Amino acid sequence: MLPTLKGRWLTRILLFLWIGVPITFIFSLLVAGPRSPSLPFAGWHYDILPFQILSLLLLVGLILDPVYIYFQQFRWERDWPFAFQFFFSIVEFVIVLALVWWGVLDFTRPASQLHTSENYLLFTIHFACVFIPSFTALLGFVQIFMIRWRFKGGEWGRM
Amino acid sequence: MTRFPILLDIYQRGDGPLKRVERISLPEAGDYAIGRSSENQIVLDTPEISKRHAWLLVRDDGIAVSDRGSTNRTYIGDTEVDTSPWDGALPIRIAQFEIHLVPQTAAGAAATKVNVPQDNATRALASGPATGAPSPAPRGQSIEVALNAPNAPDEMRFPRNVFKNEIVSAEELKSSEYFVGEITYLSVGAGLGSFVWADHLRIFGVAKSDIRAIGDDIIPYANYQRLCRNSQIPPHERLRSNSISTPDNIWGFPGYASRETWKELKEFRFTGLKHIFQVFGEASLTQSFTPRSGEVFKSIDSEAQRIGWREMFVSGRVLGIRKTNDERYAVAYRVPEDQARGGVRERIMIGKFLHVATGYPATRFTDDLQAFKARFPEEARVFNAYENHEVVYRTAEQNKMPVTVVVRGRGIVASRIIQRLYEARKKNSGITIVHQMRNPIGAQEGYRYKRAQRYVYNHIENQAFNWPKACWGGQILREVERATPEERAKIYEAIGGTTTADRRDWRNIIQLGIGDGWYKPVFGHFETLELVKTDQGPKIQMKLKAQGSQPAAEVVADFVVDCTGLIGDISHSPCLRDLVETYRLPRNPAVSGAKVGGITVTPDYEITALRNGTGRAYAAGQITLGGPQPAVDSFLGLQYAALRSVDHLGILGAPNVSLFGPLRSFSQWIKWCTNATP
Repeated sequence: MLPTLKGRWLTRILLFLWIGVPITFIFSLLVAGPRSPSLPFAGWHYDILPFQILSLLLLVGLILDPVYIYFQQFRWERDWPFAFQFFFSIVEFVIVLALVWWGVLDFTRPASQLHTSENYLLFTIHFACVFIPSFTALLGFVQIFMIRWRFKGGEWGRM
Repeated sequence: MTRFPILLDIYQRGDGPLKRVERISLPEAGDYAIGRSSENQIVLDTPEISKRHAWLLVRDDGIAVSDRGSTNRTYIGDTEVDTSPWDGALPIRIAQFEIHLVPQTAAGAAATKVNVPQDNATRALASGPATGAPSPAPRGQSIEVALNAPNAPDEMRFPRNVFKNEIVSAEELKSSEYFVGEITYLSVGAGLGSFVWADHLRIFGVAKSDIRAIGDDIIPYANYQRLCRNSQIPPHERLRSNSISTPDNIWGFPGYASRETWKELKEFRFTGLKHIFQVFGEASLTQSFTPRSGEVFKSIDSEAQRIGWREMFVSGRVLGIRKTNDERYAVAYRVPEDQARGGVRERIMIGKFLHVATGYPATRFTDDLQAFKARFPEEARVFNAYENHEVVYRTAEQNKMPVTVVVRGRGIVASRIIQRLYEARKKNSGITIVHQMRNPIGAQEGYRYKRAQRYVYNHIENQAFNWPKACWGGQILREVERATPEERAKIYEAIGGTTTADRRDWRNIIQLGIGDGWYKPVFGHFETLELVKTDQGPKIQMKLKAQGSQPAAEVVADFVVDCTGLIGDISHSPCLRDLVETYRLPRNPAVSGAKVGGITVTPDYEITALRNGTGRAYAAGQITLGGPQPAVDSFLGLQYAALRSVDHLGILGAPNVSLFGPLRSFSQWIKWCTNATP
C-alpha cells in the first residue's frame, strides 16, 4: 500500500461506510434476534453497542493515522506493507478494548451490563467480521470499483 | 563502365545472422551522401552512424567511397578507408551495416523498370525495383533505411514535400496520393504505451474502429521482449515489476501473484501460496513478488485478443507529425516493403486525438567502448547488455581456458548478467567476473530523500524496483506532480541513481564469488582500452585510473558487457526531433544522466504546446522522462499515464469516452474476468 494521510483517512471512512456499517447492522440484528424473537427491532437498545465499538475503532484509527504517516517517512519506499496494515489493525482493536475496559462507554449503560465477558467475546467476533472483509477489500476489491484509488494514495474521486 | 541503375543491398547485423534490410537503386551518376540525418541520400538512422558519415561517389567510370570524418569510420571489407575506389568485391561496412553491390548480371536480370514517373525522383528512389524475395525489416529494430534522391532539396522529400508548414491543410492532404484515412484516436509507437492507452480507451467505451496505433510490430511487447531476451531474462525468469503492474488489466486486480498462486493451486501445488505471502509481507518481511516475463507476455496476448488490437494496429514507421488546419493532427509514415501498393510506401493518416508513445530510441554505449568497437570492428568483444551477446556465454562455456568477463554497471541488468555468468561457471570453472563500477559506496552512503535512506549492499544500492515504490502512487508521486520543474529535478536527483533488487540468490552469488576469488569488484573509469595479443589469443587490456583511495588497476579481459542502459534522449529519434523543433516543445530538466529531459507534459499527460483547437495530443513513456511521474517507462507508469490522459479525454467530452464511475468500472471488470469484449 502507498497511502497518503488524506488517503488513509478517506479509505478508513470508505471502509467504515461500505463494509463496517452494513456488517455491523446485520451483526446487531443477529445478536439481537435470539434475545427478543418476537420483535426483531426490540433489541435496538442493545444493538447500538456494536455501532459504538465500530465508531470507536474508526476514531482510534483516524487519530493513529498521522502517527503511521510519520513512521512511513522513514521508509525509503514510502510504502506501508499489507503485513503492517494487518498488524496495526489488530493493535487498534486492542486499544479500543482497553478504552472500553477503562470506561469510555460507561456513560451509555450501567457497568454491570457492559463489562461482561460475553460482551468482550462479542466485540472480538464483531471485529473479526468487519476486519476480514475490510482487509480483503484493501488487497484489491476497492480498485475494481475505484480505478484511480491506488494511484491517489487511497483518496476517493477523480484524478 | 558503370551500368545504371546500380543496385545496392543494405544488410544489417543484429540478433543472429546478417539480414538484408533494403535494396536500393541508384539511377544515375552523382554524389550520394550516407549518414544518420535526413538530408543524406542514404539514411542509416542509428546512433553509431554519424550525421554526415560518408560519400558514395558514383561516376560513369566507377564508384568510390569516401569517409567524411565520421566517428566510427568507414571500411571496405576489413580495411579502414578515407577515400578509395570500390569495385564491390568486398562490402562497404559502416557500424552494423554492410553495403553490397549487386552484381551487374544479377542486376541486369533483376533490374526491372522503375514503374513510377521519372519526374518524381524521390518516389522512384524510395521504392526501388521490387526484386528478389521480400525481406521485411528486422522486428523491433529502430533503424530506418531510406534512400533520398541525390541532391534533391529537402522539401521534396516525404514527408517534407507535404508537411511544408507548421500547420498543414487537411484538404490538401486528403487529396494527396498518400492519404489513407481519418480516425478519432491515433497512437504513434504501437508498443506497450500505445497498447495500454488503447486498452483504456476500449474499456472506457471507444469502439475499436475509432482507434489506430501505428508502429513496427503487431506484438506490442516485441521490443521489450527483445531487450529482456538479450539482457538474459528468458520467459521463466522474473521481471523487475510488481504483482499489481498489469499491462493486461487496468485495475491491477487480480495481480500476477494471485494468478500464479491460483494456477499452482489448481494443480494442487500449495507452495503457490507463497506468492500471496510475498505480496502480504513485501518489502519488509519478504522479497517483493515479481512476475515471470513469459506470463506477462501471455497475459498481454490475451488482452490484445480481447480488445481487438489486431484491427487497431497499423504497420509502419512514423516519419513526421503536423497540426492540421481543421484542429487535428496528420501523421506521416512509411509501411514495410511487403505492404507497398505499386511501390508506394508513404502514407498519411489524420487523427483528432493524438498519442505519442515511441519508447527508447537507442541502446547506449559509453564513449570508451564505442571507440574500441570502432577501432576493432572485427573483435566481437564489447557488447551492450541489451544487444545480442550470446557469444559471450557460448565462448565462456565452451572454452576450457580461463575467461575473464568485465561487467560494467551496478544496475539490475548487471545483476542478471552476473547470475548468467555464474550459471556458465558450472560448465567452465575458469570464468572470472570483474565487476566495474564507477565508485565504491559505503554501507551508510546510500541516497537520501527527506527522512529516508536507501540500503547499500556490496557497493550496490538496493531497491525493489527502479524507483522507490511511492513513485507509482501515494506520497512521492504526489510530491513530484505538485513540484515545479526545478524542484522536480532535485527530487529526481535524490531518488534516482542505479539500483538493483535485493534478491537473496544474487547476494549469495556475490558472496560465493568473493570467497572463491572469481568475482572481483573494481572501481573507476577506464583510461585505456587496448587489444593485446596473448598466448591465449587477443584480449582487451584495460587500465583503470587511480581515484581517491582506489589504486590504479589493470584488467586483461576477454569480453566487456556494458550494463549501463539505454538511451532515453529523444533527439535520437528523427520524428520526435522534428516534432520538438517544429513546435518548439518545452523539455523537462535532465535526469538519469541524459543531457536533456523528455517532452514536457501536464499531469494529464497532455503536450500543451501541441494543442490544436479542440484537438489534443498526449504522450507517454520514456519520452516524458523528468515530468510529473518518475516511473514513466514501467508497466504501471504507462498505465497511470494512459489513465490520466483517457480520463482527461472523458472530461473534455471526447466521443464515447465515459467518466468511468464505480458501476461501469465493476461491469467492465466482470467482462475482463469472463474474457468478454469490452
